[in-house]
Amino acid sequence: MKAYWRLTWAQLLLFARNKNTIIWSLLLPIFMMLALGTFLGDGTGTDQFQLNVTVADEDDTSYSRNLVKELSKTGGLNVSETSRASGLAQVKQGNAEVFVLLKKGMGKRLSTEGKAGKSEPLVELYLDQSNPAVAEIGSTVIREEVDRFNKEAVNYQPPVETKLVNIQTRPLGYIDFLVPGILSLMILSNNLNGVAATIASWRERGILRRMQGTPLKSSTFIAGQITARVLLNGLQAVTVLLVGYFVFDVHVYGSWMLLLMFILLGTLTFMSIGFIIASLARTPESASPIAGLVTFPMIFVGGIFFPVRDLPGLLQPLVKAIPIGYLTDALRGVMNEGATLPQLWVPATVLGAWLLISFTIATLTFRWDVK
Amino acid sequence: MIRVRNLVKRYGGIRVVDGVGFDVAEGEVFGLLGPNGAGKTTTMEMIEGLRKPDSGEIQLFGVDGVREPDKMKEMIGVQLQSTALFDHLTAEESILLYGSFYRQMRPVDELLKAFDLEEKRKTLVKHLSGGQRQRLAIALAVVHDPRVIFLDEPTTGLDPKARRDLWRIILTLKDEGRTIFLSTHYMEEAEQLCDRVAIMNAGQVIDLDSPSGLIRQLASDSVIEFALEKKAMEVSLRQLRGVKEVRQDEGLILLLTNDLRGTLSELIRTADQEELALSGLRTRTATLEDVFLERTGKRLTEK
Repeated sequence: MKAYWRLTWAQLLLFARNKNTIIWSLLLPIFMMLALGTFLGDGTGTDQFQLNVTVADEDDTSYSRNLVKELSKTGGLNVSETSRASGLAQVKQGNAEVFVLLKKGMGKRLSTEGKAGKSEPLVELYLDQSNPAVAEIGSTVIREEVDRFNKEAVNYQPPVETKLVNIQTRPLGYIDFLVPGILSLMILSNNLNGVAATIASWRERGILRRMQGTPLKSSTFIAGQITARVLLNGLQAVTVLLVGYFVFDVHVYGSWMLLLMFILLGTLTFMSIGFIIASLARTPESASPIAGLVTFPMIFVGGIFFPVRDLPGLLQPLVKAIPIGYLTDALRGVMNEGATLPQLWVPATVLGAWLLISFTIATLTFRWDVK
Repeated sequence: MIRVRNLVKRYGGIRVVDGVGFDVAEGEVFGLLGPNGAGKTTTMEMIEGLRKPDSGEIQLFGVDGVREPDKMKEMIGVQLQSTALFDHLTAEESILLYGSFYRQMRPVDELLKAFDLEEKRKTLVKHLSGGQRQRLAIALAVVHDPRVIFLDEPTTGLDPKARRDLWRIILTLKDEGRTIFLSTHYMEEAEQLCDRVAIMNAGQVIDLDSPSGLIRQLASDSVIEFALEKKAMEVSLRQLRGVKEVRQDEGLILLLTNDLRGTLSELIRTADQEELALSGLRTRTATLEDVFLERTGKRLTEK
């Protein structure tokens, strides 16, 4: 027991004194979050959608001016007035997503309460259809606004009212997606790569062999490593979460206990895989590349920077087989959706199974000395 | 007290240790002397329980080292060839860490004092000098007050002063009544420290005795070294009084003799008669190096 505490403490001291560990394992995720969060997200995480709309008001009546005003007030629309030619050009150049042309005669038509009968359209929408999502949203938002004007003009009372119920109560942006991903990446690389490199180099330098010359049991040694790394990872995870919260307003909507449980599960799983790699590698020089070879694809198929569903179908079986995606899903579930353990039983079970198998292999293959 | 019989270890079909056997008595400094690759480290590591012998028996204080390595490890202290320490721990932290692996441990202050590391208590291992590191490595080997200490080439890579400091420490450990089992490829070290020396070559113990005993076994106890311009004298050199053997080694001629005075005076007279200049002439008593050379035809350390 004394040896266990001493080993844990020694490992924590080694972490604290090895500046590379601190820089790479803590500053890198935070830097990544700041960089990606600032450039890709918009920082606040709340107004996730901004549509640039250019309007050319050729009608220039109180009605048309009112419509422009209403559009400007609509959330998510960034409206600027311009001429027909410049508005069109801006859409073509990609500076604006939508161009709205209010043709002459619109005010007149509305003032006559639409009794003039059907004729040519007086509001024209110009959209870039190559971006269907934007085109869809743009046209819907503006159509609705025009529709409201129409209905007001004819004093239309809808027989059936639609009530809008917002089911997404939390404003989520890319940064909310990113932070759990970065957490997952950190757990992966710290443990898998960290353990593989450290243990292989200790073995090479004879540090492990020296310990083998004492009555120390390998299980005690491994337990000390695990404890120290779990503590370090917990600390790092909390730091990343705090930075996420204070800088980017990223909330943990689910249970902190559950989140920490998944962090623990991930830490233990990837640490076990790290131990296996350290045992299989013949030299410490080969341990790091092997660990890199294992980690690198995991970063891409693990849903860390973009959702797994965006990956080609060919890769989906791989995604289903490896643990990283499940960890990312679980962290995201707890943080973004407030998911509970019963809802996350799939990732919990898969990670648990990975842990059980890899830990067993790790203990069976562990050796103090160089082959 | 340490009893080793017929120890064999093969690596890839080669017998690295080939039937080694000896007894080590309590309180003595026992040395394994041999060149690199003779099988010294492998032999030691098998006795320390770090490697499993392919066959043979090892007993320490009646404990079977092959079957009960854990029980044995509590009784022994080891220092390995590579100074395997954590660079980012201090001397004190290292002692506390290794001490925690044993049931009992000596006070840190006592150890730091005994190994002259008091001022380095808070210094990281990576900032220690080679000699200080090696002293710390040995302090870690005695952290649990063991009766036997294994030191694998403890002074390799140290400068002469650090080496002598370490010799002093090893002799102190001996005075405390501990048994010391060390390996070395420095014959001077073996002569200075060891009560008995086992000479190892190619996986076998080829001789075992006290250093002086080994030297006494030599047919000749003195060596005359010099350089000659011509080698024509060689035949007559062998006929000088007392000469047992003539060797050539890197341009030097070595006369191995059991009558230093007689050989030397005849050598000088002969050189005068033949008008030959003897350059770099010196004499010395035979060393373990000569013992090794005589037994194996090889030098202990490559020059």
